[in-house]
Amino acid sequence: MSPDALLVAEYLGRALYGGAILLIAIGIYAMVARYNLMRVLLGLALVESGVNLFLVAIGFRPEAAAPIIVGGVTDVPMVDPLPQALVLTAIVIGVGVLALAAALLIRVKETYGTLDTREVAKFLAAEPADAAPAAGTAVAGTPARETVNAGSAS
Amino acid sequence: MTSGANTLVLPIVLPLLGAFLLPLVARFGDGLARALGIVLVVVNIFLGWTLWSAVGTEAAVTALGGFEAPLGIVLYGDRLAALFVAVLAVGALIFWPRAEHGGVKAYTLTLLLVAGGSGLVLSGDLFNIFVFYEIVAVASYGLAASSGDKAGFGAALRYLVLGALGSSLVLIGIGLVYAAAGTLNLADIARLAPEKLSGTTGLAAFLLLVLGFGVKAELFPVNTWVPEVYAAAPMRVTAILAGVVSKLAMVVILRLLVLVFHDPAAISLLMAVAIVTIVAGEFAAYRASDLNRTFAYSSIAQLGLVALALTIPATAGILAAIAVALHHAVVKPAFFVIAAKWRGPLAGLAGGARVAPAAAGLFVLLALSIIGIPPLPGFWAKLVLLGGAFDAGGAYAFAAAVVLAATVVEAAYLFRVVARIWQPAAGAKPAHFAFSDLSPALLLGVILIVATLFVAPIGTALSGAAASAADAGSYVARVLPGRM
Amino acid sequence: MHGYGRTTASLLFLAGLVVMLYALFQALPFGAAPMQVGQEIVSRAPGETGAANIVTAILLGYRGFDTLGEVTILFVAATAAGLILSGAGAGDLPKAPGGFILKAAADLLFPFLVVLGAYIILHGHLTPGGGFQGGAIMAAAFFIPLLASPTSPLNHSTAALVEGFAGTAFIVIGLASLMWGEAFLTPFLGKGTLGDLFSAGSLPLLYLAIGLKVGSELAGLMARIVEVGGKS
Repeated sequence: MSPDALLVAEYLGRALYGGAILLIAIGIYAMVARYNLMRVLLGLALVESGVNLFLVAIGFRPEAAAPIIVGGVTDVPMVDPLPQALVLTAIVIGVGVLALAAALLIRVKETYGTLDTREVAKFLAAEPADAAPAAGTAVAGTPARETVNAGSAS
Repeated sequence: MTSGANTLVLPIVLPLLGAFLLPLVARFGDGLARALGIVLVVVNIFLGWTLWSAVGTEAAVTALGGFEAPLGIVLYGDRLAALFVAVLAVGALIFWPRAEHGGVKAYTLTLLLVAGGSGLVLSGDLFNIFVFYEIVAVASYGLAASSGDKAGFGAALRYLVLGALGSSLVLIGIGLVYAAAGTLNLADIARLAPEKLSGTTGLAAFLLLVLGFGVKAELFPVNTWVPEVYAAAPMRVTAILAGVVSKLAMVVILRLLVLVFHDPAAISLLMAVAIVTIVAGEFAAYRASDLNRTFAYSSIAQLGLVALALTIPATAGILAAIAVALHHAVVKPAFFVIAAKWRGPLAGLAGGARVAPAAAGLFVLLALSIIGIPPLPGFWAKLVLLGGAFDAGGAYAFAAAVVLAATVVEAAYLFRVVARIWQPAAGAKPAHFAFSDLSPALLLGVILIVATLFVAPIGTALSGAAASAADAGSYVARVLPGRM
Repeated sequence: MHGYGRTTASLLFLAGLVVMLYALFQALPFGAAPMQVGQEIVSRAPGETGAANIVTAILLGYRGFDTLGEVTILFVAATAAGLILSGAGAGDLPKAPGGFILKAAADLLFPFLVVLGAYIILHGHLTPGGGFQGGAIMAAAFFIPLLASPTSPLNHSTAALVEGFAGTAFIVIGLASLMWGEAFLTPFLGKGTLGDLFSAGSLPLLYLAIGLKVGSELAGLMARIVEVGGKS
């Protein structure tokens, strides 16, 4: 490994790890600084990107090729392929979770008419006493709060 | 590798296959989909039982895809894993979702929960564990919102955000472990841990993993979702989440502790988390104003007990953890069945014993057991925990004192409810229980009584499971026979 | 709990986290990670799996079980989103048609996107890409027409059919090896010549199943959100 490559690796390393930390920090800041659920989800996406950047950066090695064999040549040094595979998995998982979050967000907005985290928290913390006296009288399961059209259709 | 070990994968892929097929089967009727789902869950109970009887002290190991460890993913089936595969399936069977709470989609999610949970306890690979943890997590976000209750969506979204943040922490933790050790196989990490993960990197990775998995395991400070979700989700979902799923995350933490993180600093860190969880849980339960929240907070405290047990060295700690976890898995879902009918402020429960004597009687039985009155199983679980703690001495004695104090608080709030139930009714009477409403709880009550009669053989069996789960050397030797 | 106290506490937590991560990452040897397992896989993957793309060899071979889980998570998310949205109001907002440019482009792009998606899926074991990337492009092919003319909905029933069969196919391919006494997901079929389209045994079959499943899942998921999303 040449000294140049080492120097490049050092600067690249700082940039990548620093970038990952920055993304995570911006993401968490976005999640806590404002009281909007949409921003919370965007922040979450940033945090996930930061984590993925960190993971993929772990596999870096100086002067190594992408882990694909071209023309049957197998003896070139390659970067670690494992973190790349992990990141692919992690990205797909993140997509699934965010899509579900978006679906929930739509229902939250529809149900409470707001995306303000404080309003939602207030609603959740409300004592069931506010809504119903003593035990439910009729419907099993959810007498305390009004039931909106339940997702029973398939 | 024997061909028998290859069937280790079945408790994961059969429910998965069923979940993929369920939407197609539902074209021929929802009842058929429901039946298929229930059959698959029963098959999983059978598979768990078969695995339990097939593995003695020697665990079954299979290298998936034929790629030997540590290159590929291995499944490691010991009695601990077999036990939780079966317990999860039993929980899903008893609390199979009702048609009105999501229908076929809820059946599908429950099957996926079973598949993911089985994978979580069987997998011997850190990243694979994360993947199954996510399956369990996403399925529970969906189920948490399936009641159609207004609070459900908000609670599920907040649960999801916390859970996703926790998963990011887990991923950073896995990244740190991989950067330090260069492998993801638990046995391989165990082999390399003393050399590569003993410093701050290892401790930080452990902290991140515990915080991440702690979301499901209801550990302080990432358990704020618990009362919200348990109040808003359908009772059957709450019962599964509180009763079983939370313990699956504990099994992961157990494996990490046994195999990788033996550092005293890591142990004291978990102990501190556990003690705060117990104290915060019990006091919040004492202050809670309705049954559902009381049990939600009490569930947090019980999981704190499990975490505390895990910090006690060697077999004694793991035995205590399994005992407390199993006992809680029987008692808490039954409590939630009662709470589902008796909603609203505690004052409204006056007269409950007259309206629903069976429910009231069951409540007393469950309360006595969870507090730890002999000869009920809860007494033995706490006895094993306290015995282990006092034997270990030092900080553990302090922890044991905390447990005893917490038990007093627990007794206070549970007997307060019992006293309330036996008061004459003032105003509106509490709800009456139809037999079908109470039957899951009665079944669990019967299991509790049967367990009381067979405490000795159950204790012996669990000791065996705990001893093999505590044996890190044999885990590494089984998974990596050539690399010792 | 709310107000300044919460923000200050969160910012303090954030600062602590940044300092901790900085210290941790600083201590990690960049570019010199141990690469224990990685190196061994790089040297053994071509012979053991026959895939020229080593990331694919890991995704479908060494860590194929992770990939099954990954596909499952998309399925869980799609099912859960369907459950959550099934009671939602069906988008009262008038759905504006996409305009001439989008409509024309959607019609034009559709065949190209399908072909490109199929190409990327089928060459996943040779070049960068694979079932997930190709599946996402396939989903886009079906999703863009939906943006162009929102009134003609996606056929969810067909999507569910494709999804169900593709998921089943993945597991059946995995289970097939169990019958020959091998472990779950053991690759079979001939490995062929490294770098050929028909090589790497059963891995391309798995990618095909993944591509179809991911494509139908993502298209269905996005369509569902669009269908109810008009309202909020």
